[in-house]
Amino acid sequence: MIQSVLDLQHVTKRFGDTAAVDNVTFEVARGEIVALLGPSGCGKTTTLRMIAGFEQPDEGRIFISGVDVARKAPYERNVGLVFQDYALFPHMSVAQNIAFGMKNRGVPARDIAPRIARVLEQVRLPGIEGRRPSQLSGGQQQRVALARALVTRPDVMLLDEPLSNLDAKLRLELRHEIRAILATFDCTSIIVTHDQEEAMGLADRIVLMNKGRIEQVDTPVGLYQRPQTLFAADFIGHANWISGTLARRAAEAGVVETKVGGIAVAPGAVADGPVTLCIRPERLAIVAADAPADTRLAAVVERLDPVGADLRIWSRLGDGTLVQSLEKNVGRALPAPGVGVTLGFKVADCIVLPADGAAR
Amino acid sequence: MKRFADALFQTAYLSLVTLFVAFSVIPVVVAVVLSFDARGFVGPFPPTQFSLRWYDRFLADSYYHDGLVTSLVLATSATFIATVVGALAAIGLHHATFRGKGLIQAALLSPLVIPNVVLGFGVLIFASRLGILDGMTRLMMGHVLITFPYVMRTTAASLVGIRASYYEAALSLGAKPLGALWQVTLPLARTGIIAGAVFGFVTSFDDVGVSLFLTDAFTFTLPVAILAQMRANLDLTIAALSVMFIVATVLIIVILDRVAGLDAITGRGVYGR
Repeated sequence: MIQSVLDLQHVTKRFGDTAAVDNVTFEVARGEIVALLGPSGCGKTTTLRMIAGFEQPDEGRIFISGVDVARKAPYERNVGLVFQDYALFPHMSVAQNIAFGMKNRGVPARDIAPRIARVLEQVRLPGIEGRRPSQLSGGQQQRVALARALVTRPDVMLLDEPLSNLDAKLRLELRHEIRAILATFDCTSIIVTHDQEEAMGLADRIVLMNKGRIEQVDTPVGLYQRPQTLFAADFIGHANWISGTLARRAAEAGVVETKVGGIAVAPGAVADGPVTLCIRPERLAIVAADAPADTRLAAVVERLDPVGADLRIWSRLGDGTLVQSLEKNVGRALPAPGVGVTLGFKVADCIVLPADGAAR
Repeated sequence: MKRFADALFQTAYLSLVTLFVAFSVIPVVVAVVLSFDARGFVGPFPPTQFSLRWYDRFLADSYYHDGLVTSLVLATSATFIATVVGALAAIGLHHATFRGKGLIQAALLSPLVIPNVVLGFGVLIFASRLGILDGMTRLMMGHVLITFPYVMRTTAASLVGIRASYYEAALSLGAKPLGALWQVTLPLARTGIIAGAVFGFVTSFDDVGVSLFLTDAFTFTLPVAILAQMRANLDLTIAALSVMFIVATVLIIVILDRVAGLDAITGRGVYGR
């Protein structure tokens, strides 16, 4: 069994009457990078603050390397934290910032300077010991903040919205950079973010949160391809929705009765009754009327949106539902708005989800 | 038409500013010039001859000298106590979350709005009830009371500007709350604390209202000495004294600017550089 470095068990935190974090349980294995993903107010930041020790859970336990730290102060846990605003001490040089943690954690004085030099090399900023944080760019501050947290070799690294303060292009670069740095240190890490791309690009696994609860824990690919709730399917990527009623005719496969006809679905765990079907735009295609496809729906093209490498085609189904499909922009002839087309998709690409409010 | 109105407004505005500047500068200029007056009486302006006689008079006068020493000792020690107490009070209240915090804050800042005469009288009664009859002790009580709200105020203002994440970052890096305060919060609030101390020092050095009640026959501050002297025999020693006050103030400002930067003292530029 893989030893888990971080283990949250039924953690709940209430502010007044509302539970900011509601019965949250998950584990993080050694060296793993896990993203806490969700919209603002979903409880991800409160969860992070409880792991760091700035908030205490009302219920539940938090284990770091096997020790219950739920009641311990921040300085009694070996947790590295990178703040959203980096929180580099403005009155100290880069070296003093990095030395701060080592001094407070009792690293011998003669080891401090060499370790500063080494960690700055590891974050690819050698020789900037004497600079002030205000003399650094946003990306450099980010890496110094990482170095400051990593240099004390924490059991767990916590990164709060690490890329939200940077511009779009830098964000992409630093995403790979952060991944590489965390991999160098083989550090167990939690990344809090509201940005699905950030979570997908940085994490081995994603803990998707909504309204204080965990919606789903999965790998980035799994979360996208096998969402288990409407929220998960909606939050990650784009989706087309068709609602209907599931009735299983055989033990394995079933048919969902919808306003645009019966749609065959693959076997799954969702119970008979009201369901919502989710089809990703890139899995929905305009097909020739006689082409082979598992499911076919008649539609009328409404609008074409060029989105760079792709074209997003909006079409209206017979019952008025607007759906989008993604076509590669490779110079193929495209239907004009107002033209009737056939949309096709495979049974395997049609995700069946319990309708909102229905029991899972 | 619109241009004319605009020009009129601009002229009126400039005149007003000029008038205001003149109003605040002219008395200073008059005092400076008069302090070098060679005549032995307060004559019409401008003086006909110049000398340093009033400066000599001031330096030779042991009454003023005693007052100056008392004022300097008092202002220095009262400011020191007020800085420690005021900064700690501000930090404590900044982190506090209990009910009635606002009430305590208001009570501690109240010496800023209560008339000094009331404060002076209050401290006098309070001290005599405690059996404290020594002038210096009484003065110290009064002056700490009027200086520490300044330190508290400016410290609190600079604490608001310090992001909470600095303190939390220090804790997550293994610092205990006191260590985080000492290594991070205090250095970052430094400019606010210094500004408060400077205001406090000037307030204490300048104070008449509170001191008037608390001086005794042997312990009196410089402003009280000036007041007494002015009643007894009005001469231009006071003008000479004013000039020395001005020079001292300018010196303090220059030194502060060199040490901490005037921008920082007035509360800006805490994060800028």
